[in-house]
Amino acid sequence: MMPVFELLRDDDEARTGNQILSRPGRILLAVGILGLAAAGPIAGSIQPFWVNLLVRMLAFALLALSLDFVFGYAGLLSFGHAAMYGAGGYTAALLVGQVTPNALVVLPASVLVGVVVAALIGWLSVRARGIYFAMLTLAFAQLLYVVVFTDLPATIAGAETVTGGDNGLYGIGSYELAGVGFGDPLAYYFLTLALVALSLAGLIRLANSPFGRVIQGVRENEDRIEFIGYNVQRYKVIAFAISGGFAGLAGGLYVPFQSVANPGLLHWTVSGELVVMVLLGGMGTLWGPMVGAGLVVFLEDRLGGVASWEVILGTLFVLVVIFAPRGIAGALISLRDDPSGAVDSVKEALKNYVREVRD
Amino acid sequence: MSGNTIGGPETDGDAPSGAILSTEGLTKQFGPLTALDDVSIEIPDGGITAIIGPNGAGKTTLFNTFTGKHAPTEGRIEFDGQRIGGVEPYEIVRRGIVRSFQITNFFSSLTALENVRLAAQARYTGFGPADFLTHHASHEEPIADAERVLERVGLDGVATETASSLAYGQRRHLEVAIALASEPRLLLMDEPTAGMSPEETNETVELIEDIASDTTVVIIEHDMDIVMDISDQIAVLNEGKLLTQGTPSEVQSDERVQEAYLRGGGHE
Repeated sequence: MMPVFELLRDDDEARTGNQILSRPGRILLAVGILGLAAAGPIAGSIQPFWVNLLVRMLAFALLALSLDFVFGYAGLLSFGHAAMYGAGGYTAALLVGQVTPNALVVLPASVLVGVVVAALIGWLSVRARGIYFAMLTLAFAQLLYVVVFTDLPATIAGAETVTGGDNGLYGIGSYELAGVGFGDPLAYYFLTLALVALSLAGLIRLANSPFGRVIQGVRENEDRIEFIGYNVQRYKVIAFAISGGFAGLAGGLYVPFQSVANPGLLHWTVSGELVVMVLLGGMGTLWGPMVGAGLVVFLEDRLGGVASWEVILGTLFVLVVIFAPRGIAGALISLRDDPSGAVDSVKEALKNYVREVRD
Repeated sequence: MSGNTIGGPETDGDAPSGAILSTEGLTKQFGPLTALDDVSIEIPDGGITAIIGPNGAGKTTLFNTFTGKHAPTEGRIEFDGQRIGGVEPYEIVRRGIVRSFQITNFFSSLTALENVRLAAQARYTGFGPADFLTHHASHEEPIADAERVLERVGLDGVATETASSLAYGQRRHLEVAIALASEPRLLLMDEPTAGMSPEETNETVELIEDIASDTTVVIIEHDMDIVMDISDQIAVLNEGKLLTQGTPSEVQSDERVQEAYLRGGGHE
């Protein structure tokens, strides 16, 4: 947790008028993380199932965070983040199942595989821009999905099975660390929370680093950034690879907890839902998409049985796009800056919308 | 200032000593359109060179080949004795050729200081661990450089304001400041006074002359009074060809130039 503390007392003032997350914001985040740490045991004492839901919310929050780093931050709309998520998940499944349950070995391996897959996809895709970039990442992710679904590695290696084909891999055990097992959901929850908090701290640090400033410049004005002396393609590939590492970690945390890895992890619908989570939460804020992801996973679990989940998610998405175009984070920020103005702008948005629909 | 180096379309081969940038037989085609046709030009080291010509003469395309945006179809470009045809734009910036843009082309949601700091940072940053793990504001040099450049262009009072909130003249100066932060040896300026009030124009002319005291400047400019006033060298392009190159008085008395301008027309 050290980087979290270091982040809080970040002494480098925002001299450039361009810092991600001010000090009050950092303190709020730390309070939120401490609150989540307290929420785990409380939820567990009420009903063990709630811990399970919290872990899934955290895993998706991490995945949304990784996407926001390239999408909201570097301006790269990836429609293929399920590829890195699934690759990290399968890596964990295979290693825990056949090599070692040591979290210190498996989780770094998941990160590394996420980085490698993302670097490859990124390298092949970054020359395209906008929607073409999105389509290329989607295509590569679906390609990987098919590779896993048809168990291509087994065919090539002549083995009976590697990925388990459409059934996937199941009965995967939990992690161990220095002789301590994480079979208990609450212990797993704390492991996940610690890693998610570290990841958030790390990505905020990256976003404020010289590298982070450059990729923000790429989002702002890609043409100009090249003419002030930056190798845009290389910055994009590296940003994408970093993001892939965190997506891989999310997969590595999700799979052993569910004890199942199936091809559905890599399906394009995961990537699509992820984009919705980021937009819902408020892209470019890092914490917003995490809130969005947690909310979507929570609602899907709670309301999935009430009506068709796609209908609920679709309605929620439409409402947010109309009334809070900058997502939950954007709405909260404008509420803080100008409470009465925020309410007025909601009325304004509703009026405009009704008028546009009528015309 | 080496204002008397005379090169012309008929001069090819050896660049006279003192040329910081030279082209030889430079041709750029876009499909069937020949934007630059066998241009051999020499930009003397130091001073101000103006590139003039009617609309569509190829002035901007010439800039784009200098900065690496367009690779030449044929011919060679040499900067400081090294060929730069086909070199990536970011690499050309590092070697010392930097351009400012005619339309304001900056990072509009960032502060003026951050716009310039980002450009200055390019000279210090790379892909080492510190570039990922340290806070950008903990690096003093790019900030100090940016503050110095902002002061030079007279924007130190608005350093912390968002670029998009600046007045028109200030935006144009910010544009120049971003280019200066790269510490160019050769600064290419595309219509630096376009759309400016007489007062803003005077300020900008003074700024260009100040920059030219330590940097070679090439401007594309339509205002003939300014061109004649500040240039040491003038190169005239017409229909993709270099018509002539020389001192203002030489160019002024050249019949071909007058003819091209009369035929091309359309200039205030």
